[in-house]
Amino acid sequence: MTELNLFEITHKQLDECAEILQLDPGVHAMLRSPMREIHVSLPIRMDDGSVKVFQGYRVQYNDAKGPTKGGIRFHPDKTIDSVRAQAAWMTWKCALLDLPLGGAGGGVLCSPKEMSRNELERLSRKYIDQISEYLGPHKDIPAPDVYTDPQIMAWMMDEYFKISQDQQFGVITGKPVAIGGSVGRADAAARGGMYAIREAAEVLGLDLSKTTVAVLGYGNAGHFAASLCSELLGCKVIAVSDSRGGILNREGLDAKAIQRHKSMTGSVIEFPRSQAISNEDLIELDVDILIPAALENVITDVNAGKVKAKILAELANGPTTPEADDILYANGVHQIPDFLCNAGGVTVSYFEMVQNAYMYFWDKEMIHQRLDKKITTSYHAVYNASTRFNIDMRKAAYVVSVMRVVEAMKVRGWI
Amino acid sequence: MDAESRVIRSGIPALDQVLQGIWLGDNVVWQIEDLEIYQFFARPFIAQAITDGYVCVYLRFASHPPILDPQPGLVIIELDPSPGFDYFSAEVHRIIEEKGRKVFYVFDSLSALVAEWTTDELLANFFQLTCPYLFELDTVAYFALTLGKHHDSAVSRIRDTTQLLINVYGANGEHYLHPQKVWSRYSSQMFMPHVIQGNKIVPIFHSGDAAKIGVLSRKEPLRAGAESIAPWESVYRKLIQYRDCDEHTVNEKPEIFSLKQELTHMLLGSTPPFSDLADRYFTLKDLFNIRSRIIGSGRIGGKASGMLLARRILLREDGDFDFHPFIDSHDSFYIGSDVFFTFLVNNNLFRLRMHLSRVKQISSHDEFEEVERLFLEAHFNDEIMEQFRNMLDYFGQAPIIVRSSSFLEDSFGNAFAGKYRSEFCANQGTPEQRLESFLRAVKLVYASALNPDALSYRNKRGLADQDEQMALLVQRVCGMPFKKYFFPPLAGVAFSRNLYAWTDRIDPNKGIIRLVFGLGTRAVDRIGGDYPRMIAVSHPELRPEKGDKVVKYSQREIDLLDLEKNDLVTMPVEEILSNADYPNQHLFVSIFKDGFLDDPAFVLLDSADGADGEYSEYVLTFNNLIRKSKFVEIIGKMLAKLEHYYGLPVDTEFTAYIDPKGNCHVNLLQCRPLGLPGTEGRPAVIPGDISPGDILFRSSRIVSSGVVKNVRYVILIDPAGYASIDSLETKKLMGRIVGRINSHPQIIEGKSMMMGPGRWGSSNIDMGVNAHYSDIGNTSVLVEIAREEAGQVPEVSYGTHFFQDLVEAKIVYLPVYPDDAKTEFNADFFENSPNVLAELFPDSIEYKDVIKVIDVPAATGGKSLQVVANLQTQNALCYLA
Repeated sequence: MTELNLFEITHKQLDECAEILQLDPGVHAMLRSPMREIHVSLPIRMDDGSVKVFQGYRVQYNDAKGPTKGGIRFHPDKTIDSVRAQAAWMTWKCALLDLPLGGAGGGVLCSPKEMSRNELERLSRKYIDQISEYLGPHKDIPAPDVYTDPQIMAWMMDEYFKISQDQQFGVITGKPVAIGGSVGRADAAARGGMYAIREAAEVLGLDLSKTTVAVLGYGNAGHFAASLCSELLGCKVIAVSDSRGGILNREGLDAKAIQRHKSMTGSVIEFPRSQAISNEDLIELDVDILIPAALENVITDVNAGKVKAKILAELANGPTTPEADDILYANGVHQIPDFLCNAGGVTVSYFEMVQNAYMYFWDKEMIHQRLDKKITTSYHAVYNASTRFNIDMRKAAYVVSVMRVVEAMKVRGWI
Repeated sequence: MDAESRVIRSGIPALDQVLQGIWLGDNVVWQIEDLEIYQFFARPFIAQAITDGYVCVYLRFASHPPILDPQPGLVIIELDPSPGFDYFSAEVHRIIEEKGRKVFYVFDSLSALVAEWTTDELLANFFQLTCPYLFELDTVAYFALTLGKHHDSAVSRIRDTTQLLINVYGANGEHYLHPQKVWSRYSSQMFMPHVIQGNKIVPIFHSGDAAKIGVLSRKEPLRAGAESIAPWESVYRKLIQYRDCDEHTVNEKPEIFSLKQELTHMLLGSTPPFSDLADRYFTLKDLFNIRSRIIGSGRIGGKASGMLLARRILLREDGDFDFHPFIDSHDSFYIGSDVFFTFLVNNNLFRLRMHLSRVKQISSHDEFEEVERLFLEAHFNDEIMEQFRNMLDYFGQAPIIVRSSSFLEDSFGNAFAGKYRSEFCANQGTPEQRLESFLRAVKLVYASALNPDALSYRNKRGLADQDEQMALLVQRVCGMPFKKYFFPPLAGVAFSRNLYAWTDRIDPNKGIIRLVFGLGTRAVDRIGGDYPRMIAVSHPELRPEKGDKVVKYSQREIDLLDLEKNDLVTMPVEEILSNADYPNQHLFVSIFKDGFLDDPAFVLLDSADGADGEYSEYVLTFNNLIRKSKFVEIIGKMLAKLEHYYGLPVDTEFTAYIDPKGNCHVNLLQCRPLGLPGTEGRPAVIPGDISPGDILFRSSRIVSSGVVKNVRYVILIDPAGYASIDSLETKKLMGRIVGRINSHPQIIEGKSMMMGPGRWGSSNIDMGVNAHYSDIGNTSVLVEIAREEAGQVPEVSYGTHFFQDLVEAKIVYLPVYPDDAKTEFNADFFENSPNVLAELFPDSIEYKDVIKVIDVPAATGGKSLQVVANLQTQNALCYLA
């Protein structure tokens, strides 16, 4: 199988928007390339005394709307194109939420599973050493991504402080709460998705208290989605699943009890008072809201036609293939595209920066309230674009994002 | 048959007269002082029998001069008692069965058996087992015993079993015959001493004469006074005086050293290279200590011996690491191997065992339940019961474990891993209740010697007829009480070689630890959905998971003893750890909170759901233990020392704890040689010249080496078909069908490769086919079809008993990743080759969409399947040639 070039996918998506928006070719060309790329070599002394050199990247894609922001991945298979794609998507995501931020991405080619904690710490610090001049709360703000976590962010922040001689907590987000991280991050993505679902239901005229929900995937996002669906929205979750299969109870499932069951047995399957259901059947279940919350490419041209849900809320990244998008749109399934549906995470990261700048921290209620406002506004911007241009919600989300970046570039006099 | 027609002629009419005739069915035991006397009675007996037309058999097994000379009409069968009681008894049984009814036997002196088997107990067992069978077949058999040289209890059992027991002894220049038991016959003078005078045997009535004979004869007046010649007692008697001699003196004096060697072999077995190690490292004091803790008699078995030897080696003062501060002492008891046979013989279970060992068709697990029931109903004799009570009094209410410690188990070359049972006794309640639970545990472990997995394994390895005595090891359960539970904080298995070196950074020669919280049962067995922490000794911190995958691949359930329920229970780890009040909990857990795993910086104060209400949980990672304690260093050094002394890679079981000062203590429970695949002969070379069309798949991340040639059958459990089965029952059934295919003669003859989704041997059927070892024991290659997105990540099956069995049976185990381009998986071959399932099993046709049997030569025009797996290069190739 040929490997997908993710950067080419971002080009394709941008090209479609450019056509809809009738972008000037020069502007279009500028948006197709990152503004700045930093390539660094990182010599690390390993525990056995040997020295190993790692390659690191940081791509700052577009900072028209503000300092760039994006994750750092530690992964052995990372290509520069995948980092570029990651940076491009962050640009669109921040713009969609109308955050005063541009997009970036970065990472180090390494196999963190094969490295000790001390080696990982040395690598994290060395990476910051090498790119620190391009970082800062007003320049570029990293965050955790694949195989990096709050601990690594903490080391990086500490290293940055040493170099800059300045304790600016906002230089990195996703930090442990003990050193300036924000509360409310754990369920931020799922919570943001709930606000979007609520708005979608409003638009579609659905009474949420009478709706049924199926959640595909029961990792962190899936679990929070299932539990918030009933807590926040008053919906009835009737089916959930994980990699080993699913469970169904038309009378409703108790998300917290499922979580307990899963933490004891390793899976949701065989949950008491439920019947077994396959992942395939769950996708085709007669529910009002379907929430894919874990894996990519689960809704394809094969099963998209059988989706009976009225709302498809993409809490996972890329759960729907482009072919499936067309089928769903034709069938009137209301999609909440991934980078709107799961944008709660980046929004709370932005809140972390804001709180760091204030040196004053909000409680969860404040986080939830402001997240609600951001997601609600963004949802409606996307929905309006979808109606205005008569396009599906995903294309509409891209259109809104690109419009906002272009607008920023224009007022700054770049174009 | 009336009494008259049963009477035969002994060849000595005077004897017939004294005894009122010997009958068909009689076992005649002669207690004699020298063999000439035995010959005196045996020779006319056989001469007469040949004359009378009976089939006569002389069973020749002793080193003493022959009792009978070769002559027409006499069949002489030579037997070797040295392999042991089990083997010898079975052989004799086979001969008796083969010869049939009304055969006349003369056995060599039974006392010779004692020299081989070391205890009178086994002698009595042999007699008690053999005599009734001879009786059933209306044979007449002569046996001899040296008078006054066997333990009273043994002679009593022989007396109780035999029909005739006759003492013959010399006194005052005469020989006297004195019947002790003559079953169903009586005369007023029968049980008087008789003097043998030429061809006459005359009773002695005069009291003065009788008393004189009694006084002058060499025998002890009461049997209890006899000093047994059995080495079990005689060697001990000779050695006891040297008990306090230093090691040097013992080793320098050949006569003492050879006695010590004899004692070592009696207690621990005589199979090299283990016996060489035992001779070298055990002191006389060690051996006396062992003997003093044996219940009954006989050997202590492989598991106990391995444990003791390993401890002895570790505590030797050499090298730069002193294990004394880290290795805990032990106070185990051993139930001698003779007790097992006495139990079988006394409860009529020996013949059942012999039958089950021999039948080709292994009994089902259901039939085994019936075997267990029979064992549970059986009884121990009073002497053993009293010793059991003594031992239980010693342990008080401390939890104990009864572990099998059989001869073959854990010995060099045979890891009977997990075939025989271990039973925990929470050991709570009144002395009577505790005794009852203990007896149940012992009987269940004994019964497990007959379980289908064990018998299948023995058959497969050609051990079916080998002597397999079951000793038991009774150990104090390591651990401490916590609330109403009892368990060790740390337990696991450790291997001196790490076959699961999933990255080049890991040094496979430094070993691996499989660690759990609570009882070690979860580390030893392979349990779906629950994962011990795998620690590579060379790089303890590295693990193949990252981020929230660490949470997924962690231990969720704990095995522990519930002191209130008086039972072994499994419960969620969360219930033990959630209040953060388990001692040293901060060393064992990480906190999953805020989307990442954090290792506590200090002792834990709060429950996982802390004051801020954020979702969090404790996850068993043992990160702080690994980083902050000497645990890994100690185990690493332990493995290295044991491997050095054994001269072979080792496999160990341990428990451990951290004391209040933060010091680590290890209790070594078991040590045995580790069966390593791919270490014999030359390394397996992956051929580079196979044409792409002949490649069926490649595999990486392999865990065993080997070369398997000319495989005829592929048994494929189709992953999609398997996943589509909704019913759990049907899924379970697949394991049984695989088991039937496994035992089909054509499959056994033709060699097979089994392929299935996920993990083989998992008890969780969603993770893979639920197969016991006996279901797959005849395959040559076992392939795990791994699809990560389906949740079937190849698990670290290494270290489990199931995997150990595969290693021992030289079954090559490969994971294959059809979705990975590098795998070169020839899906076309597996999908399109014809399915011959219905030809082999016409009644299984309904499962043809799930189970496919490919006859490779038929499907490929004569080619067969070849597999080469090289552990060093982490590559395997399956191809047609």
